[in-house]
Amino acid sequence: MNPDWSLLAPEYILAGWAAMVISVDLFFGRVRKDYLAYLAALGALVAALVSLIYINDDKPFGALLQIDNYATFFRVFFCLIAFFTCLISARFVQERVIHAGEYYALILVTTIGGIYMAAAEELLTAYIGLELLSFSLYVLTSFLKFDLRSNEGGLKYMLLGAFSSAILLYGISLIYGVTGTTNFSEIAQALSGNNDDLRFPMLLGLVLIISGLGFKVAAVPFHMWTPDAYEGAPLPITAFISAISKSAGFALFLKLFAEGFMPVIDEWRWIVAGLAATTMVFGNLVAIQQRNIKRLLAYSSIGQVGFLMMGIAAISPDAASAMLLHLAGYVISNLAVFVAIIICYNQTGKENIDDFAGLAERAPFVAMCLGASLLSLAGMPLFAGFVTKFILFQAAANQDMLWLAGVAVLMSFVSLYYYLVVIKEMYLGQPEAPTRFPIVPLEYAALAVLTAGVFFVGLYPQPFFDATANATDLLFAGTSAASVSSGPPAP
Amino acid sequence: MIPLQHFLVLSGVLFSLGIYGVLARRHAVLILMSVELMLQAVNINMIAFAVYFDPEAFVGLIFAIFIITIAAAEVGLALAIVLRIFRNRATANVDEVNIMKW
Repeated sequence: MNPDWSLLAPEYILAGWAAMVISVDLFFGRVRKDYLAYLAALGALVAALVSLIYINDDKPFGALLQIDNYATFFRVFFCLIAFFTCLISARFVQERVIHAGEYYALILVTTIGGIYMAAAEELLTAYIGLELLSFSLYVLTSFLKFDLRSNEGGLKYMLLGAFSSAILLYGISLIYGVTGTTNFSEIAQALSGNNDDLRFPMLLGLVLIISGLGFKVAAVPFHMWTPDAYEGAPLPITAFISAISKSAGFALFLKLFAEGFMPVIDEWRWIVAGLAATTMVFGNLVAIQQRNIKRLLAYSSIGQVGFLMMGIAAISPDAASAMLLHLAGYVISNLAVFVAIIICYNQTGKENIDDFAGLAERAPFVAMCLGASLLSLAGMPLFAGFVTKFILFQAAANQDMLWLAGVAVLMSFVSLYYYLVVIKEMYLGQPEAPTRFPIVPLEYAALAVLTAGVFFVGLYPQPFFDATANATDLLFAGTSAASVSSGPPAP
Repeated sequence: MIPLQHFLVLSGVLFSLGIYGVLARRHAVLILMSVELMLQAVNINMIAFAVYFDPEAFVGLIFAIFIITIAAAEVGLALAIVLRIFRNRATANVDEVNIMKW
């Protein structure tokens, strides 16, 4: 077995680029000041373009990774997330962070971890990818050495992350014991036979794996680290965590459960559905009382995790592609929100919701983009959030999960309230100083592109829909289509 | 040959002790040690399963090696963060590290 190394070109580019960024930072101090962010962003962009070569490929790398449309989708997706994170970090890092080289290199390395999680065909590879992603994020979260909140957020994230990966591993070891393999499709084969005497360890393993992955994607009741890590981390890193850690977690979650655990779907479907319901109710209700914008977004992202988990509970080809679509829409809107907040933070250094009072007068364009992307997160028509939520809720309802879709619709209305509070502050509040913000071309350009993306997904979702449908096509090829299309049996 | 159950009971006990330690201890370093205990429980499981069920492919043994390596990296990283907290706050008790509350 001789693996085809050329399949991993985007990862090599990212890793090499990370090493280059560190050495440029070491040897050319002048570049560090101004251009390092753009150098790192260029690396992510190159990796995204190179990944496009593998569209419609379906090749295994050993038995470890599978480079198919699913992997390609997430490669491009993660690389673009890293691209925007590097771009919007530029001013923040210059003013507030020492060791810029490590900062950008770790962002690129995190991206590799995420890609491996999405491409993994096998539990060990998935686990290593997950730890690569998490370790880099622990460091990035506590990157502001002398900021007590950053220290604290990093410590909590780190301790709970280590705890959760130990739980995940114990679940993996039990599944390995039951099936004798760590390969997703072989697990499915082993589980599809009659195995009543092994039901207990299998169930325990499933529950432990669900809780371990639940920690990574921040599902209630495993969400405790989220608000603190979000608040403590440097602002661009908060944006990065909310985008990449969630989507990589869900990429692995979806692939593992669609390919590996499909034969025992009746055992875990109701666990995931219950988690989804608690997550969206809890996240959205607690978000209402938040005063800090980062914590508000942390809880709102927990609410969004609930919607996404609904896609896994209602697992089917439709629901899976709807879930990826909602994931993409959520990440684009969320990044746009964070870019707007970072622009304000760079100017004012404040991050409470009251501090956004009168933003519409001081920076009309930023306020407009922030308002549009917040409405998109709430799921208003015309914006990305509406289309993606609509398709996702419909897919869930088609799989006999009507009650869950009902809860989700209700919680979307609740979420509208706290997003509108921010918009009200921006447009009706009195600014503390009447001065306008200076226009920073690159940040404004990034904001404009992301907001355009929000409208694009909202008005013309067809290209995105095709992409996600292509990506999830092969996930269900191996499992028996009958158990999927006939709908779930009664609980 | 020792029956498999002995290994599973041992690893179950270790894992539960680790969870208890994480929940009951308040010092960051002791919490880390408890997490290590949980990881060792996983290793025992992995190796036992590999030897009993999967003697040709030994995926479990490879898995155990990777877990040991990653656990070492994890401790290095965690101690660096704990050290940072200790320098800034002169405490490593997780109850006293509580600026942020919901």
